[in-house]
This record gives sequence, C-alpha cells and structure tokens, in this order.
Amino acid sequence: MMVQRTGDRERCITGIEGLDTILYGGIPRANTILLTGSCGTGKTSLALEFLIHGALKGENSLFISVTENSEKLLANIIPYKFFDKGLVKSGKLVLVDLPVMYERLGLTKAELSMEEIDLLVAAITDLVKELETKRLVMDSITSVCYKLKTSEKIRDFILKLSKALSDADCTSILVSEMAGQSFSYSMFGVEEAIADGIVYMANMERRGDLLRTLQVIKMRGTMHSRAKYVLDLTPVGVLLVPLLKGGSAGT
Amino acid sequence: MTDSRTAQNIADQLNELPPSSAVSLQMSVDNYLDVMRGVLDLFANRRDMDIIYVTATISFEAIKRVLQALDIDTSRVYFVDCISHIMMGASAAQHDEHTTLVESPTMLENLMLKVEYLIRQSQSPNKLVVIDSINSLAIHNNNWILSEFLHILVSGLRAREAYTIILSVEEHSTPEINNMVNLVCDQGIRVDKGGGSP
Repeated sequence: MMVQRTGDRERCITGIEGLDTILYGGIPRANTILLTGSCGTGKTSLALEFLIHGALKGENSLFISVTENSEKLLANIIPYKFFDKGLVKSGKLVLVDLPVMYERLGLTKAELSMEEIDLLVAAITDLVKELETKRLVMDSITSVCYKLKTSEKIRDFILKLSKALSDADCTSILVSEMAGQSFSYSMFGVEEAIADGIVYMANMERRGDLLRTLQVIKMRGTMHSRAKYVLDLTPVGVLLVPLLKGGSAGT
Repeated sequence: MTDSRTAQNIADQLNELPPSSAVSLQMSVDNYLDVMRGVLDLFANRRDMDIIYVTATISFEAIKRVLQALDIDTSRVYFVDCISHIMMGASAAQHDEHTTLVESPTMLENLMLKVEYLIRQSQSPNKLVVIDSINSLAIHNNNWILSEFLHILVSGLRAREAYTIILSVEEHSTPEINNMVNLVCDQGIRVDKGGGSP
C-alpha cells in the first residue's frame, strides 16, 4: 500500500520553491500559519513573497501592516525581480495599514475590550470577503497582541480570526516577533498553540558565522520536513538549502 | 605563458563528458594557467557556457587579472568570492556586477545559495561551476562538513544539468580530500607537473 504523505488537503502553493518542498507541496489551504522569529531573520520578506506569488497566480492577496507604513514597506522591500507594481494597481495585492483601521473603528484605547476584539475581527473578515482574499499576511500579530494584554484576549482574538479566515477559504500567515533567545515560539506563548502551523526563522551562530535559518515546527494537514534550512533573501526570492551538520555542534 | 597542448588536452577530455558531469581536476601549482586556459577558454567559452567560478584561494580580482593576462573572455564568468571578505578586501567586489561575496569560506551553505542564485539567473542552457579549490576550502572546514557540502552541491548541480569541476592542488592534497572528491565525481583528470595526463 502506498503511504499517503501529503494528505488530501488542497494546497496553497507558496511559490517559494524550497518551502513548498519542505511542506510536500505547499501550505494546506485555509490554514493559519504563525511565521515567527527574531528581528532580521527575513519574516516580512518571506511573507510578502508568499503574497506576490499568490497575486501573480490570480489569487487576491492582502497584507495588513501593523508596524510599518505600507508605502514605506513597498519602497524598502527587497526588489524582487518577479514583483509587478501592476499587482497593486489592479488590486490583486492590497496593502492595508491596521492603525488606519483602528482609527476608523474607533479603537484608539491602549487596551482593547472583548467587544472591540470582535469588532476588529469582523472588520478584517468583512475586508477579506469583500476583496475575495485568498492569501493574507498580518505583520505583526505581536503588535496587535500588545493591545490585548491578557492571554485570554489573545487566545480569543487569534481563534476568532483564524476561524473566520479559514471559513473564507483564506490561507493566512501571522507574523510573530520573538526575543532572540526564547524557549517559546511566540512573544506571549499563546499564539503558537492556536496556529495550524509554525514556521520558525532564526539567526544561528556557528563558529562566529551568523546564518539565517528556517524550520517548520508544525503544520496541520500535511507531512513536512522538520530539518533546519539556511536561507538567503535574493532578488529571485527566498532560496533555501539544508543546514550542513557534519562535524559541527550546531544549535 | 601557457602550454597549449596541456590546455587543449584538458579541454578535449572535458568535451567528451555529458552535461551534469562532475569532474575532479587535480593539478600541480605550476599548471594553474594551463588549467584556466583549458577549462574556461577552450572548453566553456567555446561551448557558449555561463561560468560560475567559486574562488576560495585568491580574490576574484586576482583571478580576473590572470584571465585578462591570458586574454580569456570574462564576460560570462560570474564569481562567488569566499575569500575577499575575510581578507578585508571586499570593497571592489561591491561594485562588480559579476561578483558575489560570501563572508567566509566556512559559510558553505551561503556558498551553495549564491551558486543556486546564479544558476537561476543564468539564461544559458549550458552552465559550468568551478570550485577553486577544494584544498582551500579544506583549510577552513573539517572533512565531514566539506564532504556533506560537496555531496549536496554536486547533486543539486547534476539535477540542473550543470557541469561541475572541482580543482585540487596535488601538492596540498591529502588522501582524505582525494577520497572525498572522488566520491562525488564521475571523472578524474590529473595534470602532472610536466603538463600531461598520466
């Protein structure tokens, strides 16, 4: 009997060749993924590439920027050779600033209440439905969590958002920031338990060299490699090769 | 300046090999110029190949000077320079479109990534990757990691139907290094001090 390694779930092909290989064909469609790591590890670049490939394939893609102004983000992002500004003009790739959304919804207080969380989730869901979004990135979920304060509220927000996006058949990446040395895969320790998948990006030091690494920790709905890969951010996108292990005491 | 018979002999042997071949080319220090002429000029340039030249021995600038002195066309040579940065001589490379730097020859994964990037960038169906040299890489890396690196790199290049030539210097080689290279290569070419292939 042939072993079913990839499951029956339809895939959202990320377009990042190495990552699709690691995931045996892509992210199971409608999954919510936590893309986590410390600063400078390439999270935003990878997430944006995921959206651009989606938009190029005709899937409506939405980037919700929390920390950085979306115009500045577009200007600063690595100049991908496959990026076409027409994607933004045509609305295939939409960038939204969450602080603007906060203002429109009147969510100006430092801490959101449970009702306000519902309001925010509903607003994002409405936007996803209106735009018929198939791929979404929120960068970063951690910044939203700072306005939620408690674990209960964070859990509630991510659960509701994740369910709403999944119901809308939208594959999403929630970018999560974490401290350099951490025993958890997220800042608040709650996000990682709820997500369907965790992709962990890090800076790994080996004999004085700093390598950017990527590792898929979990992914519901598919088999996947759990090995560590080294990545490079290039104009043709994120490239990945296996981390060499021979003779080194790597972390 | 070079022994044209030696250079032609190297090119003739390479011409007999199909794409995706991996070749170990062992030479003496004295034959370096013949090898450059044979591999880059008489073999790769004549077959319209894009050349990815990984240098861990001397800087790309020094190699470029050698190639220019030999009157070898360098327009299709793309350097992955693993040595300039640690020698604090990287500034020239930052302005050279044909050169990509790897911070250190110990960053073998990054070396693979740069080669992969250049392979993807290449429009030519014919590609050659030259590793210069395994002995220099062995100064900075232990045999285990170097062996793993060669295995992954050569397998990847085979899949992309690129030729791989791994240079080694006879005077600096050890049985361990020779075994490591032989394990991943389909063919060995040895150019002895006299210039011929024994």
